[in-house]
Amino acid sequence: MRSNSDRRIKTLELWAARMRRNVVDICMQRGGYAGQGVALSDVGACIYFDEMRPDGKGWFHDRFVNSNGHDTIINFAAMAELGIYTMEELRTMGADGSPIDQSPIEGARGFEITSGSLGTGVSQAAGIALGERKKGSGKRVICLLSDGELHEGSVWEAFMFAAHYKLSNLVVIIDNNDLGATGKTSDVMAVEPVKAKMEAFGFRARQINGNRIPDVLDAFDEARAVRDKPYAMIADTRIFAGISVYQEAIPFAHFVGRDGRWDTGFLDWEPGWREILETIERLETELAALD
Amino acid sequence: MLLAREDREKVPSAFDDISFDLCRRRDNVIMMSADLSQYVDLYKVTRELPEQYVDVGMAEQNLVGVAAGLAKAGFVPVATTFGSYASRRCFDQMLICMGTSRNTGIVMGFTPGIASPAPIHHQGTEDLGMTRAIPHATVIDAMDVTDLAQALDLACDTPGLVYMRGHRGSTPRMLDPTKFKFELGKTYPLRTGSGVGIISCGHASQWAVEASDLLVDRDFDHSLLHVPTIKPVNERELVDYCFAHDQIVTVENHQISTGLGGLVSEIVGKVGRGPRITRIGVPDSWAPGGSITHIRRHFGLDADALATRVEEVMQ
Repeated sequence: MRSNSDRRIKTLELWAARMRRNVVDICMQRGGYAGQGVALSDVGACIYFDEMRPDGKGWFHDRFVNSNGHDTIINFAAMAELGIYTMEELRTMGADGSPIDQSPIEGARGFEITSGSLGTGVSQAAGIALGERKKGSGKRVICLLSDGELHEGSVWEAFMFAAHYKLSNLVVIIDNNDLGATGKTSDVMAVEPVKAKMEAFGFRARQINGNRIPDVLDAFDEARAVRDKPYAMIADTRIFAGISVYQEAIPFAHFVGRDGRWDTGFLDWEPGWREILETIERLETELAALD
Repeated sequence: MLLAREDREKVPSAFDDISFDLCRRRDNVIMMSADLSQYVDLYKVTRELPEQYVDVGMAEQNLVGVAAGLAKAGFVPVATTFGSYASRRCFDQMLICMGTSRNTGIVMGFTPGIASPAPIHHQGTEDLGMTRAIPHATVIDAMDVTDLAQALDLACDTPGLVYMRGHRGSTPRMLDPTKFKFELGKTYPLRTGSGVGIISCGHASQWAVEASDLLVDRDFDHSLLHVPTIKPVNERELVDYCFAHDQIVTVENHQISTGLGGLVSEIVGKVGRGPRITRIGVPDSWAPGGSITHIRRHFGLDADALATRVEEVMQ
């Protein structure tokens, strides 16, 4: 068990705030999956800046498979902080001819798989976990998917497989935001009770508030201690959690766009931008005060 | 390189030996099945090399996804199932998880086309067309134990998605293993001649050889070209072959659209003023069930009917 010191948590809150800033910065240009990116920044900060062990060569010993392409903006937001992407590059996301894809293709810097075709990532994460175990590499594999992705039957094939092969080096994180592409998951096709389903499929499962960093850290601690089964972290999140003015403006938005054809939301970006900059400033001050 | 008729033999459960030999020589190869191991002749690997065998149960999408994951962990997965499932059930996984990757991912479709006795649901007669539409994919339809074993070995060193059709059960040895060397894209003249050029792949190359034997007996001028690589094929070799004949007949264990006949037509059509191409195979219809002998006869693909159809194109 790593210590959940104030410093550790405050540091991660600061990383999460910086990731939120990067998500907003990118999406202010041409729209994007801003709501998910902001909401997942806490989980993302814990993955990139705490749970995954650095390999000493500028990358990580452990492996992060983001199955849901719509959520990969958090990978970009974190990798901007790691210096793997520049914000100049990332601000071209969504522009014709940009090398930055909203759902990246395998081979893009820092991405394990081609995401975007929902339901295909969990099987690959399970395959990677099995392969790493066969090699005895000690690598752990984290797979992020969304609650809407649970509609895809192939993820349940993958869950069954992971449990059958006792892939205890696999942590599946389900972004449980009750949001699909066109409406609430609970209205379009209900997925609850997710935790009971995961347990029935042979996982150790825990449902947490995905916007509370100590909860995320506790879940990762628990996952590391499990020896004979894969782990499911059901992370309840709310779209735009962490930037209150956006949450009030659009409590529901799959994609925040610019031209109003199939978008589910529009934003006046400025108030949120100011809010996140203030949050970063406050956290930096608080962190300095801990010294 | 074609063995004389009397030297050809049938090898029982050929893929059992091919897979076992491959895994013994290459310890990073993992044979995979979706609960069909015995049905694709996987026995010895499962018993004697359990570390190199993974069964995912009846879940082909997961089969290909897990295989792609193993590839990303440094292994060479060979995901086996029936051709119908390998193509139709998990096409997205093949394209997304393997097709966009540089890591080698091999999917093998057994009892392809009408080689399955169970009608429609077990008969994948469109897999070659589907997979050859995937950019950068490698698509192989071997004819016997000789080219199947060699092609699979080479597939293990080929980046990206490799879709291969398999042979199960008693599989003929028709190509001389001392003379045949599989190269990706290469086309293989099995009989030389002029007049009608017969181009075939996979199981249909066996049928073409049978028909060709009859045509030799009848002194009918023709030649035979085996094309085991559907993609990427050596287009120049195909064009040169086609333009050296008056008529071309393609024979395939596949719908006559999108497969080998489609491929040859596309390539020759790019040049223009080529010979007429008659495409023989499954003619845009559902195949019946039953023995392969029965289904071949149904579609005029038995040796006699095939020989006659080849003769008729010159009339």
